[in-house]
Amino acid sequence: MIVGEQKPVQEILQMVAPHRKFLILGCGTCVKTCFAGGEDEVALLASALRLASRKDGRPVEIEELTVERQCEDAFIAEAAEAVSRNEAVLSLACGAGVQAVARRFPRSPVLPGVNTTFLGVLEHQGLFTEECAGCGDCQLAVFGGVCPFSRCAKKLLNGPCGGSQEGKCEVDPDTECAWHLIIERLSALGRLDQLRAYVPPKNWQTSLSGGPRKLIRKDHVI
Amino acid sequence: MEKPYRLSVFFCTRIVENEAPLLSQAPESVEIRPVPMACSSMVKDLFLLKALEAGADAVSVWVCPEGACRHVQGNLRAKKRVQRVQSLLEDIGLDGRRLTFFNLAPQDRVSISSRLEEIAALLAGIGKNPAGPPRSRDAEPGPATPAGLEPKAPDTHPG
Repeated sequence: MIVGEQKPVQEILQMVAPHRKFLILGCGTCVKTCFAGGEDEVALLASALRLASRKDGRPVEIEELTVERQCEDAFIAEAAEAVSRNEAVLSLACGAGVQAVARRFPRSPVLPGVNTTFLGVLEHQGLFTEECAGCGDCQLAVFGGVCPFSRCAKKLLNGPCGGSQEGKCEVDPDTECAWHLIIERLSALGRLDQLRAYVPPKNWQTSLSGGPRKLIRKDHVI
Repeated sequence: MEKPYRLSVFFCTRIVENEAPLLSQAPESVEIRPVPMACSSMVKDLFLLKALEAGADAVSVWVCPEGACRHVQGNLRAKKRVQRVQSLLEDIGLDGRRLTFFNLAPQDRVSISSRLEEIAALLAGIGKNPAGPPRSRDAEPGPATPAGLEPKAPDTHPG
């Protein structure tokens, strides 16, 4: 899923300062799961902003709404009436959601309330870890299901750097060494030999380095 | 006559089974709005902010001693949520001290009394909640916990 975290409330206060009536628009998919932008976070942020504005003697009117996904127009459309009632929209979606909402409502300022952080997994309650760089050319079959592009601090493709200690990365001892995991995994699968094959340098053209990407499914386009 | 300060107390019913001991020991300057919970894990960050929005000058969360929660981690979860809201209150300039958290042993009336006095002294120092709704001197005090947000006893383990 896309992992994000809510922006510091002071930054949000500065963004919404010109507006006296605005909508906080939550997203009920990825950012809900990582506690950044679902219904609960919308309600909490709205309450905090109301308190802050009252304290400063400039009360604001805040409407709250959460749609299923802000990256799909069909769901964004559900917010149309609420958007029209307000001066601005504070979106608690990922960057894609914020832009999709802005595109749909060109006359309303759409402000980002979340810092989109990475593609990751829920490791355990409250801990999310980055596991995919979205490079556009998945090589997980080579590396036993552990991605060195996203999980090795040095992005090494042909073996470990030699700096890890007890399975932990020398760059960050709180992080597991991706190559330690790759070797353990391939050993368990009895496929360690496949690491003898040279892995050529990564072609990053399929990643964001090649410019904004598009995915076209011709069978779904009419 | 309206008391100068309002305090919402969210408490686990293992500490005090009902609101009577709190109300009977309320300091002269503090009107208490008790919110009983079957377990302190039921307290949500939103409830704490809503209490302040509704007019509480301070909010206090009372939980069982660490290691003594009948739902194992309820008081630990409550502590984490309180810490988060305290930080949020600081961020918006509302003074995190308005939200207090205490581990109390069941039926410890002496501690209840001293904690309430402690909060009364704190309120005398920091004053009324500057973000509360306007209140007139003669007006009937409104709820410090909004209707519908009072936690109810769960039918099952809160998880």
